[in-house]
Amino acid sequence: MPDFSLTPEQESLRDLARKFARTEMAPHAAECDRAGRFPEEIYRKAFDLGLMNLNVPAEYGGSGLNVVDQCLIVEELAYGCAGMTTSVIANCLALEPILLGATAEQKQRVLPPFCAEYQFASFCLTEPSSGSDAGNLRTRARRDGDHYVLDGEKCFITNAPHASLYTVFASVDPSARHKGISAFMVPRATEGVTPGKDEEKMGHRASSTSTVRFEGARVPAANRLGAEGEGFSLAMRTLDMTRTPIGALAVGIAQAALDHAASYSLKRVTFGKPISEHQAIQIKLANMVQAIHAARLLTWHAAWTIDHGERGTLESSIAKCFASDAALHVADEAIQTFGGYGYMKEYPVEKLLRDAKLTQIYEGANEIQRTVIARELLRSYE
Amino acid sequence: MTPRVLVVGELAGGHLSGASLEALGSALSLAGAASGVVGFLAGSGARAASARVAPAVVRAATDAGADTILVGGTTFGRDLIGRLAARWNAAAAAGVTELRAEGGGVRVRRPVFGGRATETRRLEGPRRVLALRPHAFPLPPEAPVEVRVSPVAVEETTAALRSAKRTAVSAVSSGSGPGLTDATIVVSGGRGLRSPENFRLIEELAQSLGAAVGASRAVTDAGWRPTSLQVGQTGKAVSPQLYVAVGISGAIQHLVGMVSSRVIVAINSDPSAPIFKVADYGIVGDLFEVVPALTAEVRRVRGL
Amino acid sequence: MEIVVCVKPVPESETRLRAASDGMSFDPEGVKFVLAGYDESAVEQALLLKEAVPGSKVHAVAFGPPPRTEEVLRAAIALGCDLATWVEGPAEPSPDPMTAARALARALGPVPHDLVLCGKQAGDDESGLVAAALGELLDIVDFGFVVDLRWDAARSCLTFRRGTEAGEEHWEAPLPAVIGLQQAWNDPRTAKLPAILKSRRAPIAKVPWTPFPPDVGRSVPEKFELPAPRTGARLIEYKTPLEAAEKLVRILREEAKVFP
Repeated sequence: MPDFSLTPEQESLRDLARKFARTEMAPHAAECDRAGRFPEEIYRKAFDLGLMNLNVPAEYGGSGLNVVDQCLIVEELAYGCAGMTTSVIANCLALEPILLGATAEQKQRVLPPFCAEYQFASFCLTEPSSGSDAGNLRTRARRDGDHYVLDGEKCFITNAPHASLYTVFASVDPSARHKGISAFMVPRATEGVTPGKDEEKMGHRASSTSTVRFEGARVPAANRLGAEGEGFSLAMRTLDMTRTPIGALAVGIAQAALDHAASYSLKRVTFGKPISEHQAIQIKLANMVQAIHAARLLTWHAAWTIDHGERGTLESSIAKCFASDAALHVADEAIQTFGGYGYMKEYPVEKLLRDAKLTQIYEGANEIQRTVIARELLRSYE
Repeated sequence: MTPRVLVVGELAGGHLSGASLEALGSALSLAGAASGVVGFLAGSGARAASARVAPAVVRAATDAGADTILVGGTTFGRDLIGRLAARWNAAAAAGVTELRAEGGGVRVRRPVFGGRATETRRLEGPRRVLALRPHAFPLPPEAPVEVRVSPVAVEETTAALRSAKRTAVSAVSSGSGPGLTDATIVVSGGRGLRSPENFRLIEELAQSLGAAVGASRAVTDAGWRPTSLQVGQTGKAVSPQLYVAVGISGAIQHLVGMVSSRVIVAINSDPSAPIFKVADYGIVGDLFEVVPALTAEVRRVRGL
Repeated sequence: MEIVVCVKPVPESETRLRAASDGMSFDPEGVKFVLAGYDESAVEQALLLKEAVPGSKVHAVAFGPPPRTEEVLRAAIALGCDLATWVEGPAEPSPDPMTAARALARALGPVPHDLVLCGKQAGDDESGLVAAALGELLDIVDFGFVVDLRWDAARSCLTFRRGTEAGEEHWEAPLPAVIGLQQAWNDPRTAKLPAILKSRRAPIAKVPWTPFPPDVGRSVPEKFELPAPRTGARLIEYKTPLEAAEKLVRILREEAKVFP
């Protein structure tokens, strides 16, 4: 059985993230949300403290944290602001295919210079007509001598307007469907690569999201990750690694919602007593904390499973699916606890609902998570 | 056995300082009689460095057969007792608010954790040194006593002591009235004042009460007033007789700096502000109306 | 410059304090211990001077029990201290500051020290005794309540200011010196993640300690009391601001007896 206590090292990591989230992120969360502002100065501080590139091994200039430690940090950051957290950890998503599929030479060439500077990378899989159905992506990669020429369009790409590196999934052979997909490291400076305009989003508004267009973009074959046709598998294995921290992100949102609701309930007086003494509110708060505890433990267990060398697809899908659904529900109940005030932008809870919603959609929509869970489950009965 | 006490006094404006008088009063009650008390007066030069004075104090205490040294807890006193205790192999306590001789030793009470708790400690061993918290002890009764005065030579014992130089003393910046940490009354303003110009309401009320001006961290972070006025966890800890918190919500970081004040008055428009939980008296209302009315009433009563 | 900085583990400031079952001190159960607030400034000051004076080293020292004392030294290393020494002290929650000063002085004997920095006072005990005591025990000059500490390389001396009741003093002093620091000229830095990870593996020199003989004075905790809880403010009822003012002034004069 795992020991649920944190080591002093883990406590130090969590405290670092907590302090950063509460003193640097949270004070600016509402303003960035309102304005849809990408706070470079905060991201720069996150980089300086070593909070970006968490999954990249220390030998390549990252922080080299295992998934459990990443979850501890991501939950704390998300407590401060989910949108800022999405942009901070998007580097992990973009770099994971390199960690999983690159040769030692490619890693050595790309990772240390990338991690040494404050910069962003973006994971480019989703397209206008393929999100969940990633295997049907249409971006083409045509071999031309020792280059590939990329043509197509990706959308909803986190950090795309700011990224200096894109990890792009494109098909070398559409007739082979998902087996024709390859993965490429594409520098922003490549001619023919054009990020779009920042999208206006419901939540995570401090994060930046846009399309990326590839028009005759020439990418050296030396930038291909793994063999031709290995790209889809690389994408799926990447998501196996990054899914659990998204669960932790959802837990952070939910915890913030609960904290707001619980403190408010002790102060707000109706019918002669604080609303915390009304059963309706007590039941809400009880349900909220149950969901959060369960979500957190599911993410910790999934992370522990992966850190112990297993693929953890079932565990991480359960964690991400449960935690994101929990976050949405908890944020909703938090607004309800605040009543009319919860509906006002002046109060922090309505943002949490808008932020929670995305966690049910991105990094594998929960409908897909459920089919994956069912598939993994049924496998054990065959 | 009753202690034999040496009191180290310092001068302020040509008189024995208030803190020294309080120490003297305590010494008299501890020793039981004036005959059990020896005074050591540190002149104006002595304030410059406790290191210069400590050897002479220890020598005087030993010569007088004293086993206890008391000093007022000013910056001079607090610097001094660490030196004294180390040199004299004595037990030490600072910030003492109560003391009593018991058995062969002395028992003290003092606030800890920013005034959130009080501890009682027993000072064991043949000798002890104490710095008393200012304003916590009554002044001694007026009772003229025959005093024999002996001058004491202070040697510079090390080269470093000789070459350390105090190059200037600038007066406490005017406009703040008494120093914040020593003031008997403090009026503090917070974010509720809305703008730096409105902070003058705090200053006017403070002036009418002869009080020091304090500020919450929100005010000093916003640059409305210098950080030297900040009361709180990362600012100054104050424990005046009266603390008036205006437009301050009462976050724990601020409370830690003032919660040990004897009487706390809060003026805030938000009835659920945490400050009302620690205050003794509160006015829920618009500070822009209440504070000017209060300043006017204080002036009227004080005949200003 | 060989800089020594003395640090102490104290309960986190948000801790809800409870008396221990024996009533003698606070209950350390479940309490999170961190680097004392003023010590963070002292460490920051030490690091700023190290950066200003090439070839300098910062050595953090602490007296106290495991595991909190070791953790606080690792925190100091993560911030940038080059070396750390731990004098292992007893597990009392409310140790005697003079005992700490004597133990540290003994440990510092063989350690090179041009400048010894202490935080003004610890957030728990708040005695502020250690700097002056160290000065006496190490036989070097000490100054407390120091702000704006700088090194004047041209004249090889420290310059600083001290706030006293008489006013603000400006000083210059040569090394060696012990400084009780009120405030560094910068906000304390935050340790970065790679440094935090690296600090876990940093060597910490351990120095044993045995209690001092009985003729050396010490203070012993006897009772720890939380104040009777304040039950909340008595709200003054009023119809006009003038009425509120009159009522409050009367209360302050006649009831609370704090009116000037």
